[in-house]
Amino acid sequence: MIIADNLCKEFERSVKKGKKVQKTKFLAVDHVSIQAKEGEIVGILGPNGAGKTTLLRMLGMLMSPTEGSVQLKNASGEELTDDIKKKEAIGYLSGNTKLYPRFSIREYLAFLGELYEYGEEEINKRIEDIIAVLNMEEFADNRIEKLSTGQTQRASIARCLMADPMLYILDEPTLGLDILSADAIISFMRKQKENGKTVLYSTHYLEEAEVLCDRIYMICNGHVAASGTPKELMSQTETNNLREAFHAIYDAEMKGEMA
Amino acid sequence: MRRLRTLVKKEIMDILRDKKTLIIMVIVPLLLYPSIIIGMTLVMNMVFSSQEEQVYTVGYPVAGIEEEIIPDLQRLYEENEEELVCKLTFLSEEELQSGHDVWLLVEQREDSLYAEIAYASTDQASNYAESALSELLDLYKEELLKEKLNEEGLEEQFLQPLVQKSIDSATESESMGMSLGGSIGMLLITTILLGAFYPAVDITTGEKERGTLETLLTLPVTNFQMIMSKYIAVSMFACATAVLSIVALGGSVLFLVFGVSTELAAEFQGISVQTVIVLVLLLLLAMITTALLITAICMCFCVFAKSNKEANNYMTPVMLIIMFASMVGMIPSVELNYQTALIPLVNVSLLMKQLLAQHFDFAVIGVTIAVNFAYSIIIIWILAKMYDSENVLFQDGFQSIRLFQKRSEFEKGTVPAVGDLVMSIVVILLLVLYVGSAVSVRSTFAGTIVNQVIIFAVPVLVTWYMKSNQKELFSFKKPKKGTIPGSIVLYLGTYCLEMAIAGILIKAFPASAENVSMSFEQLAKQPVILMLIVMALMPAIGEEICFRGFLYGGLKNKYGVKWAVVLSAIVFGAFHMSLVKLLPTAMLGACLAYIVSVSGSIYIGMVLHFVNNAFSMLQMKYPDVFAKLFPVFAKPELTLGDTLIFMGVGLIMISIGIPLLKKQKNKT
Repeated sequence: MIIADNLCKEFERSVKKGKKVQKTKFLAVDHVSIQAKEGEIVGILGPNGAGKTTLLRMLGMLMSPTEGSVQLKNASGEELTDDIKKKEAIGYLSGNTKLYPRFSIREYLAFLGELYEYGEEEINKRIEDIIAVLNMEEFADNRIEKLSTGQTQRASIARCLMADPMLYILDEPTLGLDILSADAIISFMRKQKENGKTVLYSTHYLEEAEVLCDRIYMICNGHVAASGTPKELMSQTETNNLREAFHAIYDAEMKGEMA
Repeated sequence: MRRLRTLVKKEIMDILRDKKTLIIMVIVPLLLYPSIIIGMTLVMNMVFSSQEEQVYTVGYPVAGIEEEIIPDLQRLYEENEEELVCKLTFLSEEELQSGHDVWLLVEQREDSLYAEIAYASTDQASNYAESALSELLDLYKEELLKEKLNEEGLEEQFLQPLVQKSIDSATESESMGMSLGGSIGMLLITTILLGAFYPAVDITTGEKERGTLETLLTLPVTNFQMIMSKYIAVSMFACATAVLSIVALGGSVLFLVFGVSTELAAEFQGISVQTVIVLVLLLLLAMITTALLITAICMCFCVFAKSNKEANNYMTPVMLIIMFASMVGMIPSVELNYQTALIPLVNVSLLMKQLLAQHFDFAVIGVTIAVNFAYSIIIIWILAKMYDSENVLFQDGFQSIRLFQKRSEFEKGTVPAVGDLVMSIVVILLLVLYVGSAVSVRSTFAGTIVNQVIIFAVPVLVTWYMKSNQKELFSFKKPKKGTIPGSIVLYLGTYCLEMAIAGILIKAFPASAENVSMSFEQLAKQPVILMLIVMALMPAIGEEICFRGFLYGGLKNKYGVKWAVVLSAIVFGAFHMSLVKLLPTAMLGACLAYIVSVSGSIYIGMVLHFVNNAFSMLQMKYPDVFAKLFPVFAKPELTLGDTLIFMGVGLIMISIGIPLLKKQKNKT
């Protein structure tokens, strides 16, 4: 379970005023509090530049928040405090987390296995299991640089699986994938949910989120504009689907901003 | 530990699969060295032998006095043909068909013959012919002299009341090594630089560009482990390049010596197998520590660069500095001693010269190797501690160095960040090492002035540029009430302790101490006012502003008083570039920094620093007066008793001084 409390992230932005360049500070993430429990898929939605990726990076321990805190609790409710232990418990995947192009999937997974300090037998067993589950036998020994987009994304999923984390943070995992690969990833998320894992994911595909997510946080301008189950969001905004709800929330937010 | 090993393994595999890097690391040393060395020698041999074959013509006018001399010259030439630089043939104006290389004109002036050789210094052939003909004429002159002496009935010794000859004790192989050492040092350092630079760029900025760095940071790996694993992997490749280079170099030299030229082989007969083994081992050790150091330097720049292009931009000036440092060995008068041994890379270059001349001073060699090793560990340790993955990954990597911003972007009262401090100190160090040392070669006194100006100017300029509040940062304030007595007691105690420790160190490293006192002797020749200004007043102001103002002030802001005192003291000690002075000056630095922290003022430290330096200045200038006033200080070596007394008195005074200061601090 992950609990984020009042998270803020401040960035500097250069603004040109005539000849002078002035640096102004702004909050990319502005007092965001969210939660995700075991066996839950939580969606983070919002337009580009809303601060979704920054938020997920803070949750994934790639960035430290300027303010606020992130708590990570394991299945028995104990809080993890050690940074390394936290990273072990999180499987983080985004468009920017590339894999070593000069390694094959098998080699890469073996490297991860050693890094997670598994025994040799365990490593080999896990690798074979993962390759079978993700249907990667054909290209498991090819260099990653030679793989197609879909194959690479499956390899990335394999990377997360190797650690067997309790929390998955997936930043637009289905972006740019064909229907087959995207479906493979969606069924992967469902499976993790069934296994009692926590899945936090951001997406722009609202139809996908509507059927997949247990709860949704709508992020606009760095803060939570609305949250709840897809149904709750739709009834709040008196709309019929998530896409309409999204527009309604966004428009209201923009009006608020103007006023 | 297992994680670090896994990471190192991964980095090595990653580098090994990059063909470009491998080519530079393996092909360059293994093919370039032999081809340069063997190729050059073969070409030179060919040029020389073709010169030996060539016959150069000496032309002379018909029907002159020359025709009488030529037969004698011809005879002398035939007698001494072997010893001359080239072959000559004498042709008169009539016999000449094509041109001539030199022209000989001889005139009879009173009793002497006057010979003129007309040649063109721009023409190689003409030059050769000229020197051969000159030699020949010299021989002829001797012959004429002998005849004259005989006529007068005098012995040949009459003209030679003194016969002089210098005998070189160095063997041929030693002097050859000496002349080769400098340039080979440079070649090796440059190859190691290439061998370290490419993998360093590949696994730092390359990893960032390929997008795998973000992935690596999601894994359970600390920044420290990550930097260390990369450093270890790159330095292994740099070491491999070093070893390959030495093998290739040695191989091609052996090939030349035993395969091509038997003359050269004869020159190497004198070397014992033992010498060769020692030489090779020391060479390897020196080159491996050099590889570690160069890797550390490369990593510093690559780790913070955003792209390969940026890494290249940062590295270009660094490469120039490294190559410049590696060429110092080619300067004939610069030798490896306890002072030059402390200058990174320059010491390796000098060491190479010493090693190849088979001059093994193991103490200095040991210091050189240890110093380079220590430098690399320190650099990489600081780097690993400073590395902030978030900055490097998502923002401008050099954010911890704010100096690169435009001045207009700074707010008033900006405190230098740790990166700025480190960079300023490195700049000062480089300026002192290279500019200061260069001036010191001419004049130690001028070198000291230059160093003091550098130490003063850099912090002042940096803080001006950053619009820092200099009054606040440098503690330009009145000392707090009642802190002066405690400061003086603490200082005197530290001074006594320093004396005791210096006494022990001088016994441990006598050669290093000798170096220090020698450079002081030169300084002591200056007038006393100048000495006081340069050696006491300037350091009191410059060094206090730099170490107790800039460095201490900046560090305090980030790490708090305790660490600021310790770190600034260590840097202050290291700055004095001497094994014997390191610990005592660090203690003085800690004492002065502590005084600043309690009194809130830099002025007490400045006065004490002035007194401290002036005292030792005057002691050097007027040793006799001092011997009367303070007999203890005049002793060349302290006895065990003296050392213990100094230590005791020092400790007692320190333990009085600190509480005195603390009391005042708590009052306010």
